[in-house]
Amino acid sequence: MKFVANVDFNGGQLRPLDKSDVDAIVKLYQKQTLAGQGEKAIKEHAERMITLSVQMAATQRGLMWAIEVDGQMLGMLSLYDWQPTSLKTLMRLDAMPELTQQLQIDALRSGIDYLAQKYHLRNFSFQCLPQGEESVIEVIKCVGFDQQARLRDFRRLNQTEFSDVLVFNKILELTEEALLSGEQI
Amino acid sequence: MNWNLSTEHYYVRFAHEEDIPNIYALLGSKEVVKNHPKNPMVVEAQAMDEARRMVMQFEAKEAAFWLVEEKTSGKVIARISFQKFNWVNASAQLKVDIFSEFKTQSILAELIYAVTTLAYEDLSLHRLEWFLLNQDTCSIEAAKAFGFNHDGQLKNYFEFEGSWIDYQVFSLLKTDTAWQQAIKHNGLSTL
Repeated sequence: MKFVANVDFNGGQLRPLDKSDVDAIVKLYQKQTLAGQGEKAIKEHAERMITLSVQMAATQRGLMWAIEVDGQMLGMLSLYDWQPTSLKTLMRLDAMPELTQQLQIDALRSGIDYLAQKYHLRNFSFQCLPQGEESVIEVIKCVGFDQQARLRDFRRLNQTEFSDVLVFNKILELTEEALLSGEQI
Repeated sequence: MNWNLSTEHYYVRFAHEEDIPNIYALLGSKEVVKNHPKNPMVVEAQAMDEARRMVMQFEAKEAAFWLVEEKTSGKVIARISFQKFNWVNASAQLKVDIFSEFKTQSILAELIYAVTTLAYEDLSLHRLEWFLLNQDTCSIEAAKAFGFNHDGQLKNYFEFEGSWIDYQVFSLLKTDTAWQQAIKHNGLSTL
């Protein structure tokens, strides 16, 4: 059974991860960020991540898409902390330098549209570090995410240092009819 | 480590079997639970279940709950808790269930100072969060008076009786000037 759908966007597609993505995942999961990552990925982590991505999607706890352009995996769009009863999820976007801002925007928009229609999700959030994630912040703002909070010292960096975390949200308004039919207004 | 605390006017202590009626009286009050928001308990069996969950969550190191007993009358006036302990990031969420007639800044200051001291000194936490509803103006004013910072809001956090609930997030860090002053003066400041 297929738990992660292929979703086309202008210039590429979102598709399930597969075994051949290990090297790309290792490359993408080297920077320090928040959702779903405690340390830099190595090959074993990436292999586990591919297995986990199926389990997460099957149980609606999360989802991982490869962002593919011209047959190459250039990024990932992932959901963590997916809460079906609260219609919300935490997202994560990873991009290689070759994945342009416009492609990231289109990929993210298509992913959100699909999730709203298929699963009725309406509350999407990102958690970003104030430093080093400026490019992701630019992309999510273009897609309509607004900063709602700056959680002071929310993330521990080491024994004595902490970092603030920025919280961004995009809330979709869904009518009752839209919820039933899966349409977003 | 002693989890049972004593302030000037209150015992801040763990619950025991005889506290089921106290928990029921507290959490069966609409005024007490409306700002969480939750529906009030309607049968005592819910209080028994709640008491069990309090023990289980404490044993799993997920939360700690105290009942607040007035020294002079023996009446249980509140439950105060730390929930969602995050031992990696050294944080926890503060939650206060208190009868409205006792919901004053001075009483909240006395109780929150006691448990916060334990959080920072004994549990080595760094950040306490207090999630409050916009309409809970009494708690919001208290949070501001005590030196909690308004970090922002968590929109549409969950759904309750057909409405989406936004939480205002307040935080107090161990390193905050307000907390350092509180230690110096042996109590949180009030307006």
